[in-house]
Amino acid sequence: MNRRLIAATILLLATIAFALAPLYRSAVDIPIPVHHVLHAVMMAGTALAGILFAGSLARERRSGAPWLLVAMFAPVFAMILMWPSEYSYFELHPYGHIAEHLGLIFLGFAAGYGGQRYANGIGWASGIGIVAMAVLGVWGYGVAPTTVAPVAATPSAPAAAAAPNVAHGSVLFTQNCAVCHGVAGAGGEGPPLKNERVRKSLTAAEAWIENPAEPMPKLYPGTLSAQDVADVAGYIEALR
Amino acid sequence: MQSRAGARVMWIYLGTGIAIFALMTLAGILLRAAQAGWIPVDPGTFYSILSLHGVGMIVAMAIAGLGTLWYLVRREMDLDERIAYLAYGFFIAGVVSAIISVVPGRYGSLWTMLYPLPFVGTYWPSWATGAWLIGNALVMLGFMLWCAQILGALLEKYGGVRGMLAIDYVFAKRAFTEAGRKPPPPAMFAAAITAFDGFITGTVGLVIGTALLVHLIDPSVAIDPLWAKNLTYLFGHSIANLTMYMAVAGVYVGLPMCTKRAYHTSPQLAVAWWATLLFVIIAYFHHLYMDFAQMQWMQFVGEIASYLAAIPVVVVTVYGGVMLVHRSGMRWSLGSMFLYGGMIGWVVGGIGAVLDATIPANIDLHNTLWVPAHFHTYLLEGVLLFTLGWAFVNLEQRADTVSSLMLRWLVGLGMFGGGALFVFSFYIAGAAGVPRRYAVEPAPGPLWASVATVGAIVFFIGFAICVFEGVRLASLPKSDVTA
Repeated sequence: MNRRLIAATILLLATIAFALAPLYRSAVDIPIPVHHVLHAVMMAGTALAGILFAGSLARERRSGAPWLLVAMFAPVFAMILMWPSEYSYFELHPYGHIAEHLGLIFLGFAAGYGGQRYANGIGWASGIGIVAMAVLGVWGYGVAPTTVAPVAATPSAPAAAAAPNVAHGSVLFTQNCAVCHGVAGAGGEGPPLKNERVRKSLTAAEAWIENPAEPMPKLYPGTLSAQDVADVAGYIEALR
Repeated sequence: MQSRAGARVMWIYLGTGIAIFALMTLAGILLRAAQAGWIPVDPGTFYSILSLHGVGMIVAMAIAGLGTLWYLVRREMDLDERIAYLAYGFFIAGVVSAIISVVPGRYGSLWTMLYPLPFVGTYWPSWATGAWLIGNALVMLGFMLWCAQILGALLEKYGGVRGMLAIDYVFAKRAFTEAGRKPPPPAMFAAAITAFDGFITGTVGLVIGTALLVHLIDPSVAIDPLWAKNLTYLFGHSIANLTMYMAVAGVYVGLPMCTKRAYHTSPQLAVAWWATLLFVIIAYFHHLYMDFAQMQWMQFVGEIASYLAAIPVVVVTVYGGVMLVHRSGMRWSLGSMFLYGGMIGWVVGGIGAVLDATIPANIDLHNTLWVPAHFHTYLLEGVLLFTLGWAFVNLEQRADTVSSLMLRWLVGLGMFGGGALFVFSFYIAGAAGVPRRYAVEPAPGPLWASVATVGAIVFFIGFAICVFEGVRLASLPKSDVTA
């Protein structure tokens, strides 16, 4: 039996075992960046297996334009499959997540095998491409900017306040904020605040109102109480 | 290896690129006229047109350049034209998607689609952002297909990366030549670097495009803005730069056709292209000098990379080109005029870029019209001229004729004179500190926008005459000399 074929088979089986491992030892609460790295390892294994499989074929059986399509589309589908939503969390959807792993290793194999079937060297390019996509994700795909957390955790975090009263926040916003941020946060001299929840959590919004950067005026403590800050932040978070 | 089918692919790509360019030039004239205060355009519409203009110009020049390179590679080795057509289909689908995003959708977050701009405080519906992102992804897919096809062919033909990049030729030239081996011709370096760096660029473009699409569908998926900016500029700056390296292949093949002299590969040329290969994808760091959160070492690397990506290949190529023309008795046809003029535009635009990439100057220039000044010079008076030069050299050779002296003067005055007026208005306004990407510019912006509009109109008249002349030459019967 062809040595490349044996190596490819061993590599493929090892990667499948790695992908199924969480079923036996429920690894929970892995941060998203680490998850991207683990996905990259899986796809590196199967991409290499794919390259070895294709290399074990007789040279004249290689080539063919359709294989190029397989190699090019595999990384795109992998990137979509790595969608870091709540459905990615193993503890919530264990079997769904294992299915995702199997999809990723299949796509890694497709990138390596398809590329190498098309032309010698392209399997390496598409294999490195699919792994690089997962690795690149480590620094920002599903990962909030690192500057947000310290802001929320600063010593000057808002004083304890009751749950925000959004209606009261709306009144305060119109009185104090709308002159710059526009009616209902539509924007004006200051930036628009619609969908601000995507950028700042409630806590981060409260911390920002308490300690804003220039030219935004500092209204707390003074014009606004701790409860007022919570109400305005709650209103901003509700803006769509 | 060449066939009619191969030439057809090239002309389809070239024709499409030039047609999109013409439409985007009209859009550009409208934008400058609006900034001059000649035509009332509301800011929302301005930013929507600006978005389309930016992406349209890059895609137009890329399509034209990819067609030229595909044809030149096909002259050396076998290529399946079905993949070229498939990639073309992706480009067209991407362009249609971008047009849908902007025309009915009014997307206006510019072609750089910098996160979180496409999602926050928008005056357009979210589906328009989706259409824009899908359009970009389709163009990237087409580009990656093209890159993979060319890369595969080059690796097979030259026996791997060492042969493709002429590494043995540079380090052991005597043994290499004594063995009867030949390095790849100069145009193949342009193809290799475009395909290699294009593949990386496309991969990164798909990463950021997919991440943004996922965020659009599911806003709970966070994205780090600095990460997004790095990826967006790696993809955007590199692809814009690569359009030049695609088009320059026309110089390596077109100028020898005009001068009847060969443009040989030299070790200097190979090393200059290696520098571009390594540094073009990190030259984008100069777009982030003012991002304090970016790591400082990246800023210094960015400055050096910006120099090394451009300067060696410009110096070697232009020196070689000028030496080729020197005392060759070359006839100054439209084709040779464009190729020679393109080298001047490349140098002028390159100097503007090098200044912008220099950290102390960047702080003063980067957010001003200086930046559009340099890339308009690069694209209009560099990439476009190389593309037209290559097209005209072929048309003139096919018909065995050249255009009349009067027509050459008209085109020259329009495209060089109008073009110079247009780009220097940008440079002067930029040096005066007029900010870029403003629908309504502070003084002296409107004054220079008026001058630029005049320049752009004169340029467009020259360009239109040139296109009509190209169509006339193409309709002439094929000469017996070249048949």
